[in-house]
Amino acid sequence: MKKRQMYLRMITASLIRRRSRMLVALLSIAIGATVLSGLVTIYYDVPRQMGAQFRNYGANMIFTPSEEGFTLEDIQNAAAVIDSGDLVGIAPYRYENVRINAIPVVAAGTDLAGAQKTSPYWKVEGAWPAAGGEIMVGAAVAENFRISEGDSIEVSFTPEMEDGHDVVEDTYLDFKVTGILDTGGSEEEYVYMSLADLESLTGSAGRADVAELSVSGGGEVLAQYEERINQMGSPVQARLVKRVTASETTVLSKLQALVLLVTVVVLALTMICVATTMTAVVAERRKEIGLRKSIGASDRSIIGEFLGENLMLGGIGGILGSVLGFVFAQQVSIHVFSSSIRFMPMLVPVTILVSVAVTGLSSLLPIRGATQVDPALVLKGE
Amino acid sequence: MFWRMIRGTLVRQWKKMLMIAFTIALGASLASAMLSVMLDVGDKVNQELKTYGANITVVPKSASVLSDLYEVEGGQTGAYLQEDELGKIKTIFWAFNIVDYAPFLDVNVTADDGTQIRCVGSWFNHHMELPTGEQLDAGITSLRSWWEIKSGAWLDEQTAGDSAQLCMVGSALAEKYGLTAGSTIHLTGEMSDQTLTVAGVFDAGGEEDDQIFAPLNTVQAFAGLDGKIDSIEVSALTTPDNELAERAAKDPGSLTVSQYETWYCTCYVSSICYQIQEVITDSVASAVRQVADSEGAILDKTKLLMALITILSLIGAALGICNLVTASVMERSSEIGLMKAIGAQNGIISGLVLTEIFITAIFGGLLGFAAGFGFAQIIGHTVFGSAITMKPMVIPIVAILVVLVTLAGSIPAIRMLLHLRPAEVLHGGH
Repeated sequence: MKKRQMYLRMITASLIRRRSRMLVALLSIAIGATVLSGLVTIYYDVPRQMGAQFRNYGANMIFTPSEEGFTLEDIQNAAAVIDSGDLVGIAPYRYENVRINAIPVVAAGTDLAGAQKTSPYWKVEGAWPAAGGEIMVGAAVAENFRISEGDSIEVSFTPEMEDGHDVVEDTYLDFKVTGILDTGGSEEEYVYMSLADLESLTGSAGRADVAELSVSGGGEVLAQYEERINQMGSPVQARLVKRVTASETTVLSKLQALVLLVTVVVLALTMICVATTMTAVVAERRKEIGLRKSIGASDRSIIGEFLGENLMLGGIGGILGSVLGFVFAQQVSIHVFSSSIRFMPMLVPVTILVSVAVTGLSSLLPIRGATQVDPALVLKGE
Repeated sequence: MFWRMIRGTLVRQWKKMLMIAFTIALGASLASAMLSVMLDVGDKVNQELKTYGANITVVPKSASVLSDLYEVEGGQTGAYLQEDELGKIKTIFWAFNIVDYAPFLDVNVTADDGTQIRCVGSWFNHHMELPTGEQLDAGITSLRSWWEIKSGAWLDEQTAGDSAQLCMVGSALAEKYGLTAGSTIHLTGEMSDQTLTVAGVFDAGGEEDDQIFAPLNTVQAFAGLDGKIDSIEVSALTTPDNELAERAAKDPGSLTVSQYETWYCTCYVSSICYQIQEVITDSVASAVRQVADSEGAILDKTKLLMALITILSLIGAALGICNLVTASVMERSSEIGLMKAIGAQNGIISGLVLTEIFITAIFGGLLGFAAGFGFAQIIGHTVFGSAITMKPMVIPIVAILVVLVTLAGSIPAIRMLLHLRPAEVLHGGH
């Protein structure tokens, strides 16, 4: 009991009295630990965060109906298979031929909030339609009909001829144009309104032609969802948009490899840096080792004391580093991806262990070297 | 005498000096590797994002709205671009940033059972010798890299020769007619009929699965449209749009002369579109927002991420070097005490210690720079399969960093040592 107290006292006293040197060593360990925990946190979180960025490319899964068509309810049932955390957005679309100024145009009715999520790259001059009676027109349509933002247009629809009737009356609805859509694709040739408006225009409800989904997850996860939905036996057929999924997998894996390699290189170099500093700090104390040896300390007890001191430093540095590293990773995540990072509890003990191991190993060699020297020579200064 | 003392230290204390040089080399290699990777990562990721396909489409002016809007029969609107102008795309100001492009011509052909099939003419791996002496293989082999080849292989224009009548068939169509690589299909167009040999079957996961892709001249022969094309897809390396680019895209006339020059000479997607319109007669070039915008966002994020990681590693390297230099200067307290005792002035002592450390630092820095270059190449080859271009600006940045860090590490320690009283230090008490 007494011996252990003395041991602890010697270690703490040495740490406190040689404050400036110990601070140097502690700082270097803390830097190493910060780099370790910061980079590893980023490495593990990058795929998730970058994956969210890749959802900018829009829908990566499409629901198409089997021959008899599908209803909104079918779509919802199928979408329920996808984990709600993975589902970024879903937008059912229904297309109908309508007329503006008696000229035919394709109108798409959709869940507008969902469409904003599945097609984040759409550039809208003005605003997305928010309430009923509002419409967004594609840039090509706008140019053709000389429509600009804020205009009112009348949209008409010719219902299908029913049996027993000779004439069907067109239905009319007035819309206010809230925005012009610019995508550089065929979407510019359509007009967009809420599904409810299209349903009241056509007089039939509950139907959809296609649904676009934006799902976060790698290629394998997506393929699993696709298979599970197709095996449900509902009229919904899920298909992956190969162009988006295949490319996302390629680019994302490259990015992850990049961060991994950078992390490994930075870590290796930082750890060597820590080791050299520790070696320098320990080598300086050859005189002290010589003195202890000359008053009768055994090699074992000297190594034990020095090691204990350095392991303690390693532990404190590791704790400091894991806190600072998380702060750093959090800052990076907020600045780059504007979202907070997940805290990984497992990383704290790992960081502490690694810093203790690195300090221990890097101080062991010079201590052993010092104990083998003749105390008389060291004390004499030769 | 000054230099003799320095030489003496370097020779006699070579072990300690080696350790300082080693640490500085590590820090310098870390800094130069990370800086090189960071400065090049934009170009590299941009190249990778090219797998998403073209980010610019070019169509004839009058056809830009007609075909889908009025559902004109067969999508043929009577407006075409000229095939012989295609080479001009590689002559625009930003020609170097045009990575790939391919022309398209859609015609409807009839199979023997009477069904209409859409047949698309394009380049597969068209070889071009440019007036600049450059060579380029362009076409859908790289622009449609996400196509999965179910049987056979990509049609190879270069080895096939003109007489071989080859085509590639979408998977849905292939299933319907029982086609695999090597089988033949007879198709009748408006002007002529031909028997094509299937070179490969692809699965594109979209409407292309119901189409046939064939070399451009084959499809032109079907419809008698020699030298005509419907559209061009261009894949270009671009800079993410900013406010200037957005204003310019709406109306280049609204810019001042200097703004116009900045815009024209920056590779925004809108300025490249504008330049393509200048060389292709009666054309409208527009950005495919799905690709162009998303690329911009991902590129920006990646660059920022790498920049922050670089900053962390630079700080780490700087503090590491700083630390070691401080530790090694402080270690020399008795030597400095001795020098003071025999009458050395503070300036001389500081000069001596600094010169020693700087000689070591230059040596270590050079070594580290070379090693850092190697690390950068390893990263480049492992991740992107191509070398990282070394930017000249890395050299001064690393040099300044090493000098500053060494100074920052040694000056406080030297100052502290100069304040020590020689008698105390030599006596061994502190």
